[in-house]
Amino acid sequence: MDTTQLLKGVLDLAVLAVVAERDGYGYDVVRRLRAAGLEEVGDASVYGTLRRLYAGGHLTSYVVPSEEGPHRKYYAVNEAGRAQLAAATGRWRSFTDAMDKLLGTHGEEAA
Amino acid sequence: MNDTIEGAAENQVARYATAVRAAFADLPAPERELLLEDLEDHLAEVAAEDDGPLAARLGAPEAYAAELRASAGLPAPGAGGPAGPRPRLGESAVARRLQRSWRAAVAHPAGRAIVGFLPELRPAWWVLRGYLAVQAVAVVGSPLFAGSGLSFPVPALFESQLLGLLATVAAVAASVRWGRQEPGGVGRRALTVAGNAALALFGVALLLQLGADEAAGDYDRPGEEFVYTGPVSGLRTDGEEITNIFPFDADGRPLRDVYLVDQDGDPVVATHYDNGYLEARIPLDRDGNEVPNRYPQVQHELDPATGQRQPGPTPEFRPPPGPVRSP
Repeated sequence: MDTTQLLKGVLDLAVLAVVAERDGYGYDVVRRLRAAGLEEVGDASVYGTLRRLYAGGHLTSYVVPSEEGPHRKYYAVNEAGRAQLAAATGRWRSFTDAMDKLLGTHGEEAA
Repeated sequence: MNDTIEGAAENQVARYATAVRAAFADLPAPERELLLEDLEDHLAEVAAEDDGPLAARLGAPEAYAAELRASAGLPAPGAGGPAGPRPRLGESAVARRLQRSWRAAVAHPAGRAIVGFLPELRPAWWVLRGYLAVQAVAVVGSPLFAGSGLSFPVPALFESQLLGLLATVAAVAASVRWGRQEPGGVGRRALTVAGNAALALFGVALLLQLGADEAAGDYDRPGEEFVYTGPVSGLRTDGEEITNIFPFDADGRPLRDVYLVDQDGDPVVATHYDNGYLEARIPLDRDGNEVPNRYPQVQHELDPATGQRQPGPTPEFRPPPGPVRSP
């Protein structure tokens, strides 16, 4: 299973986490996800996810004039988004715990 | 630095964006615009990062569109809705192309703004129409009244500007009344369209005549001089408006409550940005007087959707490492 497939399931969570850390515009969120190690994340996926989270009421947006060009649409996490982030984080932890237990011995053997 | 390179990059962005937008032609315009509003900005930012083709970084436009569509939670094109555009009687290739150009123009934010704004101009046209009608009568009928023809800006009837003014008021009132009663029957609408077209043509002719008169130098209004207003006020860097100032100390720590004055000790005031989103609030002193030169000024972003206010972001800045000396 390649990373792209894995990412599909958790991109909402990753995007929420990045925006919750600090408000950001589309490409800024892409960059920060890559900097965090999710190098294979697709630009379009991030933009689409931001739009969906916004449409779903988990993000708010505001426009910030940019020095060198167009005004940028910044996203911020609202209360609903924070609740969603907390819930998804809990599910993610129990899921990875389970996977860790399943894979734990294999990983050590390989190492 | 180089216009050709920049131009090529812009072309590339425009081509890529057009191809992506084409893949969303099945969506209603508002939905599509919400999805694609910062597409060009994104592509421009990616293009600015390296010289390679956009497709090398982002994949083919069609793949980009599919990825965007899927991650935004939209159905695949053609799924659910009617399959493809409905063929209509008398729809030619030219009509389709015109329609597509129109849709593209309307999909663009500027185009949408213009189209949305047009109905608001109707009352202005009604007023102008009344005025033009009187000017038309004055000009066309001037040989009959033994008048001197064109009088601007107040039309003259029977060589009387007072009469012209009264006629204009009456004509504007009638025109507005007529406009507010639209739409009527077919005959009434045809009459309106014909009248509008004739008066619009006359208006253009009037403008051309005024332009020609002015060029010939026989049309001048005493007491009016051409005044050069000079540069626009406010703080600027390379012609760009400065809307706020964020001072930092040598260690890169943002400073608060810094007062800036110029060589004469007068306050330095940045332009207050006011676009409906940003709300700059000028601090007040104990006596309620504005303190316009204390920085950074607090700027609030007003979320247009919720009306909620939140402080705007502080830009990041790193001072150069080590001591900085004057030469």
